Amino acid sequence: MITLFRNLFSPPRHMILLVMAAWIGLSLAEKRAERHGISKDNLNNVTFYCLIAFTIGGRISFVLQNTPTFLKSPLGIISINPDIFDPFGASAVAFIVAMIYGQRRKLLFWNTLDALTPFFVILSIGLGLSHLAAGTAFGKETDLPWGINLWNATRHPTQIYETLASLLTFSLLWFKKHDPRPGILFLTFATLTAGSQLFLQAFRGNNTLVFNNLRQEQVIAWVVLGICFALFELRFKRYTQGKTPQK
Amino acid sequence: MYTQIIMQKNQRIILYILILIVGASWIALSADGTGATASTSAPQAGFSAPDFTLQTPTGESYTLSELRGQAVLVNLWATWCPPCRAEMPAIEKMYQEYKDQGFIVLAINMTYQDDPFAIVPFTKEYGLTFPILLEETGDVASAYQLRSLPSSYFINRAGIIAEVVIGGPMSEALLRTRIEQILK
Repeated sequence: MITLFRNLFSPPRHMILLVMAAWIGLSLAEKRAERHGISKDNLNNVTFYCLIAFTIGGRISFVLQNTPTFLKSPLGIISINPDIFDPFGASAVAFIVAMIYGQRRKLLFWNTLDALTPFFVILSIGLGLSHLAAGTAFGKETDLPWGINLWNATRHPTQIYETLASLLTFSLLWFKKHDPRPGILFLTFATLTAGSQLFLQAFRGNNTLVFNNLRQEQVIAWVVLGICFALFELRFKRYTQGKTPQK
Repeated sequence: MYTQIIMQKNQRIILYILILIVGASWIALSADGTGATASTSAPQAGFSAPDFTLQTPTGESYTLSELRGQAVLVNLWATWCPPCRAEMPAIEKMYQEYKDQGFIVLAINMTYQDDPFAIVPFTKEYGLTFPILLEETGDVASAYQLRSLPSSYFINRAGIIAEVVIGGPMSEALLRTRIEQILK
């Protein structure tokens, strides 16, 4: 079953899973956007501009990091290789574009994030599946009965763990009673995701190690968790003070 | 006050601190002292590149593990594959530019699913000077879990795969960034 799935979506076809997830996520987000005070048009526009910014920003960021190379081969800037891409730069550019669009359209920051939460959750499910298809984000070796054969060893199916964690997060958020406090839905998603990553990254086989052999991904998840807790308190305080949340 | 705020602020803060302490303990407990995957051989970034010995059409033999200390691009290709053909000039150009710095290309033709008589004319047509190896059994394709052509593996001087590029054609800029990475 897993082999069939991996053959069907082997790289570069694994990108289809991310595109499908983005499409389903946006459709679901649209259904509930108005309960967060965001119109469908604004939601679609902000997503569209972010995706464009993500695509172009990732390429520009990669080029800027390898400027001497691209000075020698300038046509490479517009080549069709998807590998000429920096995901961190892409995310930063998409975030900046979202902020600019939100400012211009006077969108409420936390309400917009709440409206986009189904999009983020489904995207994280798609990301887990694309990891499984590509064999990336693989687990460390194990002799547990549910281990999968990958890269010449029986390994923890970390890609399945992360997909299941995202599915569980989606179920909790989608079927939970609507919370009128702006930002709480998104912060719950961020907290659950950071918490699950903190736990599951321990089973990964190829983490980046920092400090005293600590896994970088876990350290980042721990910091994000702390930030989420602080933001929860700020949101609660703002809500109980009865102030309208601002951008 | 909104009824869902069921916990007092102090209780919440204690809960946050507890969760963060448990999280920090889990991070410390799961610290990886073993290192990683480099000792295992697999066709994936971070692993030791699967070894092979193959021959050129003239009978010269190349073993990947004997090239330890050099930066190696293993490129799996076939004459009937348009993107493979399209990226060959860029690979040749990069080979000429970087070979003096310890860079070598092993272009493995999937001979078991290609026309063996088309290979030499192809290399002449494109003026390829790097080693063209013949894969006649499918063993190397199997070891590299080949799913798409072309597939390229950038192997550093320690014999570890630094990057994998599936599909093509690779641009000159992409080749250059990856080669400079494995030459370091």
